[in-house]
Amino acid sequence: MREVAITGVGSTSFGKHDGRGLESLAVEAANAALRRAGVERKEIGAVYLGNFIAGPLSGQEVLAGIVADELGLENIPCTKVEGACASGGIAFRHAVLSVAAGLCDAALVVGVEKMTHASGGQVTQALNCAMDNRSDGPSGLTFPGLFGLAWRIHAAKYGTTRDEVSAVVIKNKANGLKNPLAQLGADLNPEIIRQSQPIADPIQLYDCCPVSDGAAAVIVVAKDRARGAPDLPIDVLAAVQTRGSPRIGGHQDIVSFDATVKAAERAYQAAGLTAKDIDLVELHDCFSMAEIIDSEDLGLIPRGLGAKWAAEGRTRVGGDIPINASGGLLAKGHPVGATGVGQLYEAVLQLRGMHANQVDGAGIAMTHNLGGAGIACTVSILKRSDA
Amino acid sequence: MDAKPGTLEVLRCGACAALDPGPREICPRCHQASLQPHAVAGEGRLLTWTVIRRPPAAFRAEGAYAVAVIELDAGLKVTGRLEAPEDVNGLGSRVRLVRSKDGVAIFRAV
Repeated sequence: MREVAITGVGSTSFGKHDGRGLESLAVEAANAALRRAGVERKEIGAVYLGNFIAGPLSGQEVLAGIVADELGLENIPCTKVEGACASGGIAFRHAVLSVAAGLCDAALVVGVEKMTHASGGQVTQALNCAMDNRSDGPSGLTFPGLFGLAWRIHAAKYGTTRDEVSAVVIKNKANGLKNPLAQLGADLNPEIIRQSQPIADPIQLYDCCPVSDGAAAVIVVAKDRARGAPDLPIDVLAAVQTRGSPRIGGHQDIVSFDATVKAAERAYQAAGLTAKDIDLVELHDCFSMAEIIDSEDLGLIPRGLGAKWAAEGRTRVGGDIPINASGGLLAKGHPVGATGVGQLYEAVLQLRGMHANQVDGAGIAMTHNLGGAGIACTVSILKRSDA
Repeated sequence: MDAKPGTLEVLRCGACAALDPGPREICPRCHQASLQPHAVAGEGRLLTWTVIRRPPAAFRAEGAYAVAVIELDAGLKVTGRLEAPEDVNGLGSRVRLVRSKDGVAIFRAV
């Protein structure tokens, strides 16, 4: 397999894009990435587009071909990838595989979602397509509910408190205020969070990511083709994808996702690194409790201490392991199919030293994208090419 | 189809006797297409629960309701409903099936 790198990146802001369609958002992000790709459009040999719910919410499929046509790409394979909230991360991995295997020298990855035009009930119903609807779905469970279930166990096992969990929310919302692409940065305190509406006990409103529109794109190229790019190329050390149980009852333990644990193990092995080598991570904080579980599953924080480290400030920019300097899904937003690609966009800016909420001396970054009730996961590790 | 009172219908493999909460097409252990309906006691332990206050569109008419994960004494984990969550005395509490509705098991603290 050949070594691969990321050259061009592009992103819309995440948030409410009234009057704009999926195609418009995807083309804006992808065209920005192509302009900084360092390769010609005719050299792009494959497109992988991450999207989850364009069918139920917008009545539009075949997006990969539509977007490639608008961008003026050749008659190349254009594939839409679906893995619930991990759709973007999976699209990236497939582009990496295409280039690493030598099937093409350059590939476009774009993730996109349009959600804010639909009602809350429609969005919840569409997101529930990510459950196993033969088993968990009929109970009326929702995704906030899944993390409410996990929270009670985390609290019972490790003594995690409401205010410790709030530290995750306060950090990510503050990070979001510094990110020009973020939808919902805010200056919060534990009292405001405690007073917010209950959603799925103990999950409250501020524990949840917002409903978002947005798109992000990256160009993946063979490393020997990255030299001509206008911006510092970023090496891809690992791009791993795993499967976990589709059912809650299938997980060994509801406060850990096997798909994340396995993906992290394989990513560290592929990169020849350990958790101590990671300078920053963009991980899948769809809910406050998700960040706590993810950070433990990735081996970045000892089991049970995810919330306590946040409360001690150890996951802030400047802390032991900066988590979600972008604001994460909680503050930057969660346009589902775009999220995994957006994480890569943020990590690339960090490694180039160009991020609005910069982690000093960032040389190695991890991204983590988790879908469904833990059924699909990707973990990627990126490195500055001159580090 | 709901099983007789107090029992929960799950699946049992006719080839290797593995139990599974289902629905499933083939046995997760031996991969034979020999799964048959099988009744187990609707008693177990409450692993965790939540109250859904923002239901999906299909459940909106019900208002708030509690969803729980139960570990049955038969060794299976099932996702169902929890009636009267205010009666629960912490995680690990004993619960019993009170009825099933539309294929969803409804439990209550003992």
